[in-house]
Amino acid sequence: MKQETFESMVLTIKEQSELMVDLSYSSLLYDNTTLAKEVYELEEHIDHLFERLHHDLFQEVKEGNITVKTAQILLKLARAGEEIADAAREIADVQLRDVELHPILKMSIQESDEVLTKVQVKEPSILCKKTLGQLKLGSETGMTIIAMRHNNKWLYGPNKNTRIDAFDILFAKGPEDGEAHLIELADGITDEI
Amino acid sequence: MKQEKHKKSLLGRLQRTPHWKKEEFTEIEYEPTSVKELLTEMKDISELIIDLAYSALLFNSTEIAEEVKFLEVRMDKMNYDIRIMAMMAARTKEDAEQLSGILQIAQAAEKISNTAGDIILLMELKPKGLLPRILKDADEQLFRIVVSANSQACAKMIGSLKIESETGMRVIAIRRKNCWIYNPQSDNTIQSKDTLIVKGTNEGYNDLNEFLLGKQEVLD
Repeated sequence: MKQETFESMVLTIKEQSELMVDLSYSSLLYDNTTLAKEVYELEEHIDHLFERLHHDLFQEVKEGNITVKTAQILLKLARAGEEIADAAREIADVQLRDVELHPILKMSIQESDEVLTKVQVKEPSILCKKTLGQLKLGSETGMTIIAMRHNNKWLYGPNKNTRIDAFDILFAKGPEDGEAHLIELADGITDEI
Repeated sequence: MKQEKHKKSLLGRLQRTPHWKKEEFTEIEYEPTSVKELLTEMKDISELIIDLAYSALLFNSTEIAEEVKFLEVRMDKMNYDIRIMAMMAARTKEDAEQLSGILQIAQAAEKISNTAGDIILLMELKPKGLLPRILKDADEQLFRIVVSANSQACAKMIGSLKIESETGMRVIAIRRKNCWIYNPQSDNTIQSKDTLIVKGTNEGYNDLNEFLLGKQEVLD
């Protein structure tokens, strides 16, 4: 296996684990068990990825293709992501337990610096029938879509090619004024992105 | 009065890199504040601290690494405070069940901050060439920008510039001479010659960079 393959595995673990933290907080904020369960599945996926990385890196070091130092750095970065994924699972676990959430929990999540939001796209919205790559919501509104419900299917960490249609439900994260902008766009109140 | 001070978050304030006092590691004293404030701050720190840890590695900054250590210790203390408060608040089994959820979230936030502490330990291995290569394909990256004297951003508040909602770039830290502002808030200003550490997409970075270099008059 090439070093680049390991590098992209490390990046996948890093990005997925950070997405999981956002998803787990969203699951609490919106009492959403589906999101919480997804965090569990992603955590298992990351565990597998980490195990594979571990094994394959040792193999490559043994064969002399990768230096011990490089392997050490890659493993430690991957371990950091794996631990963040574990933490996200612990957060999601609170949602999956059969206990009503303490009201303080939601308030704390709402009052933190980055706002989580949930919005349904209406038919006249400018967002309809466009891909996330075309819309550039991230750089235009500051809002990152972390998950969405599209045609009765859930998508987590959607990418550039993901298309938004009417009635999709978007879960996003970003600054407060970005949230207001995104809601206006989804409602069709403004066409200005 | 002293307690009032402690209640205010440390984030968004101009500060020097903390000089280490031994007591900060050894002496944990319980200070009453509200569970909600503690949990909010713990969540905010847990999200900031990972970006700071990667910034320390990427820009080879021991000062940012010190801040990571400082926040990590602070998180330990907050986690301790929140546990004591929760125990004092529980009167019934139902209380205890609900409060245990809060403690679990606090624990997770503390775990994330410990991870940030592990990330900065990588500085010893000098991952200089490797880390930028790994992070270059990320959707969101970390950048450093020095503000030009002729930029329209000078002496304006971050909130009024709407940096995040216009470019998607989140300001993680500002370096002003020898001082730092970590996790600046909307009422923090930007000054000429400030170094900003920001996180976001390549596109957002290009827009913000032009603006902060004074090549672009407005952000949009």
